[in-house]
This record gives sequence, structure tokens and C-alpha cells, in this order.
Amino acid sequence: MSKHQYAMVMDLNKCLGCQTCTIACKKLWTDRDGTGYMYWNNVETRPGLGYPRQWDRIGGGWKDGALQPSPLPTMDDYGHAWEYNYEQRLYEGKKQPVMPSPEPKSGVNWDEDVGGMNADENYFFYLPRICNHCTHPACLEACPRKAIYKREEDGIVVIDQDRCQGYRYCIKACPYKKIYFNEVTGKSEKCLFCYPRIEKGEVNACAAQCPGRLRFVGLLDDPESPVHKLVLVHRIALPLFSEKGTQPNVFYVPPFNPPKRENYGKSIQEDPRVPIDYLIYLFGPDVKDVITRLEAELKKTQEGGRSEALQLLIGRDAETRYHVRPQLVQIQL
Amino acid sequence: MRTRQLVIVTSACLLLSTTWAQTGAKPAAGQFLSVAASSASADNLLNGGPAKWNQIAVKHVALNRTPPLYDTDEPATLEIPSVDVRTARAGGKLLVQLSWRDPTHDAITLAEVPNTPPETRFRKVQTEADDRFFDAAAVMFPAKSGSGAIAPSLQMGDAEHPVEIYYWNATRGAMVMQAQGRGTTRRTGQSFPANSTYQNGQWNVIFELPDLSAGTTVAFAVWNGSQKDRDGRKYFSVWQVLE
Repeated sequence: MSKHQYAMVMDLNKCLGCQTCTIACKKLWTDRDGTGYMYWNNVETRPGLGYPRQWDRIGGGWKDGALQPSPLPTMDDYGHAWEYNYEQRLYEGKKQPVMPSPEPKSGVNWDEDVGGMNADENYFFYLPRICNHCTHPACLEACPRKAIYKREEDGIVVIDQDRCQGYRYCIKACPYKKIYFNEVTGKSEKCLFCYPRIEKGEVNACAAQCPGRLRFVGLLDDPESPVHKLVLVHRIALPLFSEKGTQPNVFYVPPFNPPKRENYGKSIQEDPRVPIDYLIYLFGPDVKDVITRLEAELKKTQEGGRSEALQLLIGRDAETRYHVRPQLVQIQL
Repeated sequence: MRTRQLVIVTSACLLLSTTWAQTGAKPAAGQFLSVAASSASADNLLNGGPAKWNQIAVKHVALNRTPPLYDTDEPATLEIPSVDVRTARAGGKLLVQLSWRDPTHDAITLAEVPNTPPETRFRKVQTEADDRFFDAAAVMFPAKSGSGAIAPSLQMGDAEHPVEIYYWNATRGAMVMQAQGRGTTRRTGQSFPANSTYQNGQWNVIFELPDLSAGTTVAFAVWNGSQKDRDGRKYFSVWQVLE
């Protein structure tokens, strides 16, 4: 058990699916050999396939204290990298349009904005995902090399690249499939919560670059931190698939879409834009209570009152959204 | 859970390796490996083709499959029941040839990584696949020499009896490892001369080892990539004694 725990809250109502977080992460961490298919941060459309596709149904995690089996996702699930035949088209006189090869069949953000149907209406929302830096990481337990460890000072889960032998038990064990194998180095890699930035008092790159200002970062055990307030005080943020048993430390404010046009004044639970069952699938049955609380806060402000929870969710400035304390690490060391 | 696995693995190894390996009693007659004295140079044996090796007596060493180490392991069948071992001393080296039948050739040539840093290149080397495992083999022997010493635990040695492991991987090459018990194996960063061929469904891998003295115990392991072998998921022999 770590002494402190960094956590992130993402307000899904503010995510516009622009992938700026994805690019911020990619440019900083996975612009190397063997990392092309790695998205330590990805944003997927929900409902949808996800990345790797169908990761939420593959397996892994805990059940009754035992690790659950899972196959490794294959490159078909991630999508093979493709190239365009510019040479042939531009220099060799090929008449046909520029074409990709191999034929793209899957990829990150493959089914963007497809979503699902609710009665005869289309709906979707975006789900940004990073490593959950779980309190009970299945990846850590699965690694026979003890290459994965949870930092005692801040709860960040990292893979020691010197100890890793590329066995990939961790990838199988992670129910969120947020660990990637680098075939060039023969080792596995994952989101490291930007700990080199955190140690300097800088917030994660994905959060710093987010134009929607939907990410909140801080210590879960720090009463002053926004994540503590959103998760433990206002209780309006939930982890993804908590039944997988790993106790994730990334939390989501569920999509709190406005009521449909003809239902003005009604609760969104009466005629929801996003089916409640789908939200329960992702965030568990507590999501209904969260929506009830969010509706109550909304009502408060509509009646001229002030909602601390909603003010916090607006998160106008970085001081409100982030509580990253470099001195914590120094004290602990 | 860990304890239960350890008990299963330990009891299996005890059963399979017979008790002498743990207690230092004399090995049974079948566990000796005769070593040929070759007039050829070490380099000639390593790279000179099969002719010289065919003259050296072969020993069929039985291989065992490790029991499932984790609850989530897929079951595995015994597809490689034995490995053929030939050993020879030449030029102050001990050469060991391991030969085994494996119908699946699990090896690739990894794309060459340019010397320039990736950030200066537009194109990066891609991960072609994330779910393939490669054929491999290893020779393990005690790091501390001396006749009459107690053989280390077959599970990568133990704290008092560290082991050296000369590991060859069909894709990633030869590397020297050290270990002091299960889960402690680490790469030393050193390589060693090795040569491998795959023909007609058979691997022949030659290891050039230091000149281990007579009476030294050695053990062998084979990993079958198509059975997703890696880590302790493998085939292993019990300790053999060099004559």
C-alpha cells in the first residue's frame, strides 16, 4: 500500500474528442522505435470497439482474489500500421488514387463518432483512457520478474525496463489492456502518469494540453485536492469497471447529457439520451446515484444558488484543476 | 496463491530431479555426460558444420514440462520429450550442441534499428506483432565451481548456490544470465559465441561455454515459441554431470 495516491478525474461532459491529449502523450513518450501502435493515452468513442478493440470483453483483472485469464490482444485488434503509395502515384505514373497498404481494417479511434442507437436516435460520448494506476494492480501481481512496482510515495505504477523480460503476463492480467509490448526492445511499456513531470510540480502532459479542461489531478488523500473533493466529498466521479477488482485511480464524471428537447424539466433518468444501462455497464450501479446528485447540483444553480461541485467541475484555472506538489516527493525521499 | 504454486512447482521438481540434486548425493549412472576431447579448434566446432559433431557420442536427455505456474496459464502438452546433447572440449572451451525436433520454426529477423536517434527520423521501426514468442534454449551451471559441491536448486539456483545461464534465443541471440533462485534471473549484458541452424524440423544449437571442469553439473532448457513458452513456461532437464 502506497503512502499517497495520485489520481485523475475526467469530466466526460467536457470531452470534445479532439485527441490533443493523445498527441501530447505520443509526442512526449511514444515517438520511439516500436511504439507506433502504443497510445498510453487514447480517446475512444463509446459505445464502440475501444482500443485495442473489445478490450472491455477480453478478460483479466481479479475475481474472488484470483487473477482472471485473458488472451493477448493481437495486432489485428490494435490495427496494423499502413503506408500510402505516394511514390507510385506521384512519380511512377500510377493512375489510381493514392491507396493505403495493407488495407486498413482496424486502428486507434477506428469507429470515431459511430456510437449507438437509443430508440431511433444516435448517441455517443468520448472516453479518454490512461493507465488507471490501480490500488491493486493485476499487472503487478502477474509479473514473475517483479518488474512492475507501485511507487510508495505517490502510488504511480511503473514498469522497470531493466527488469522486464517481455513475458507479457501483465498485458494479459490488465483488464483495461493499457500495457503495450515493444517488439523492438522486447519489453512492455505503459503510461507512467508523467512522473518525471509530477516530480517537478508539473501536471501530466495529457491534462496540461487538454483544451476542454476536463482533467483534474491531485492526491486522492489530500483534502485540498480537486480529485479528493470530486471523488470523496461530492461523490460525482466513478472508476471504470470497478468489478474488475483492481481499484482504479482514474475516475470519470459520467456523461450528464441534457434532457431531450421535448423533455425539458424532466430528469434525464426518465428519458435519457445515453441509456442508463450502458452507463451502468461502464461505471457500475452507483452511476444512478451520481446522476441524481449531479441533477440536484444543477437544480441548485438553476434556482440561483451556488454549487461548489459544479464550480469545481467548471475548473476555470489550473490552480483549481491541479494539485501537484513536488515537495511531497522530496519530503518522502 | 503464490505459496500454493510454489509448493506445486517445488514438489514437481523434487520428483523429477531426484533427491541427489538437493542433497549432494551421488547422481545415478544415467545422469553423466561424457565429454569428447576434440582436436578441432573451438571455432571449427562452432562454425565448421555438422561433420565434426557427428563423430561425437550423443546422449538423449529427457525433458520435462514445467507444471502450470499460474492459475491463468493455458495448458501445454509435452511436444519436445527430449534433447540430444553432445559435448566436446576444444581450445580451452567447452562446446555443447543441443539438438531437438520442433516442427514449428518460431524465429524472425527483427527490423534493423538505425543508429540515428528516433526523434531525428520521420520513420520509426514498427512493432510488427505483440503476441509471438520465439524458440530458445539454455545451458545452466553453478556459478561457483568445485567438485563435490552441492548442486544448486534446479529453479535457477538459490541464494547460496548462484547459477550462470547461457541463453540463446532464435530471434534475439545469445546472452549470459545469472540467477540466485526463481525470479532473480538477470541479464549480465554479456554475450557468448553461439551458432544455430534449423533444418527439416530440427534445431541444432551450439553453445561455447567456459571450460567447465569434470564433475560440474549442467542442466538444459528448451522453449517452444509456438507453445507461447517464455519464463518458467518451458522444457527442462534434471542436472547432468560432466565426466
